[in-house]
Amino acid sequence: MGTMDRRDFLKKSGAVLAGTSGALSLPLLTACDANTASADSPLAGRKWGMVIDLSKCQDDCTACLDACRHENNVAFHNDKRWDIHWIRKVNIKSKESEEHAEKSVILLCNHCENPPCAQVCPVQATYKRADGIVVVDHHRCIGCRYCMVACPYNARFFNYKETEEWPNTDFPKRSHGVAESCNFCAHLLDQGRMPACVEACDAMEIRALHFGDLNDPGSEVSQIIETTPVKRIRDDWGTEPKVYYLGL
Amino acid sequence: MKLSTALRGKKLGAVVTVMIVIILLPFGFSVASLAIPGGDQMPDVFLEMPAAQFDSCVRDTEYMRFRHMDLLKQIREEFIRDGIRGNVSLTGCRDCHTSRERFCDQCHQAATVILDCFGCHYYPEPGEDSRQLGS
Repeated sequence: MGTMDRRDFLKKSGAVLAGTSGALSLPLLTACDANTASADSPLAGRKWGMVIDLSKCQDDCTACLDACRHENNVAFHNDKRWDIHWIRKVNIKSKESEEHAEKSVILLCNHCENPPCAQVCPVQATYKRADGIVVVDHHRCIGCRYCMVACPYNARFFNYKETEEWPNTDFPKRSHGVAESCNFCAHLLDQGRMPACVEACDAMEIRALHFGDLNDPGSEVSQIIETTPVKRIRDDWGTEPKVYYLGL
Repeated sequence: MKLSTALRGKKLGAVVTVMIVIILLPFGFSVASLAIPGGDQMPDVFLEMPAAQFDSCVRDTEYMRFRHMDLLKQIREEFIRDGIRGNVSLTGCRDCHTSRERFCDQCHQAATVILDCFGCHYYPEPGEDSRQLGS
């Protein structure tokens, strides 16, 4: 066996270490996509998305918020510590444009293509369905609130208290100690209906919310995204939201 | 190892005997219950007879009595994860078994299994319309 000086030994052992650590970290890198449902599910093929037209949205209208609260039994205790909002309105101020000095913006779960909440979930309760909707399996949720920390859009809320009200008995409530957020009314989509907020907005003849399949080039949302300058919230983060804004 | 002065000789024997008796107590109870006529029977809690809408349940009676939780977990995973809505659902149970008190609660109380389905899922009161679709 030939002799090896100190320099060669350090070089070779360094290379071996780098190789093994690279190989060991591969599963970690691939795990980022682990919380996605299998591609052979009947939901695969579609990619649901929403376009919110803020120029049509009226500041004093809360039809979508009320419809969502009713449809999904979203808890409202009239106390901001415990209230849960799947969809909410916030007033934002623009520094640049005088025209839209203050604006009311609808915020909801962005159903990111790369959802940070699903990546951090330690029990895979939050995951992305094959049709792109980010959902919480409340049976699995352990209430660690890691997803609330991870979500850059503050779209997640925690059930500190259960609500007694049960306006829609066709849909479950959530028990104490689980996190929740908008699910694009997945149960209505599975029945071939539109989400409750979109139905409510259409019923008010405002039509500020457009909903459809982003994979279908002929759908209304695809057309709007194709032809008009739409924005997504903090597009630079790489989360790839599926909620687009017109007039933001 | 040196035993402490408190546990030596006869005292130690007594403590060990008491411990063994306590550990074996549950087994003793179950053996004793076999000796009593009818003691090994499940309590008679299967009172809920379904409304005669269908000829049979989704699985046979024996399976449903002792393994229904496996079926419920399986359909739950399939539905929530992959969107497969089969012909079995928690809503489907209450189409026939109208009384939750007699269909679920009695046996679960006897078996001391805590049931937390209905904190979130709605089980209609007897006489109330149970709907086809839903949770």
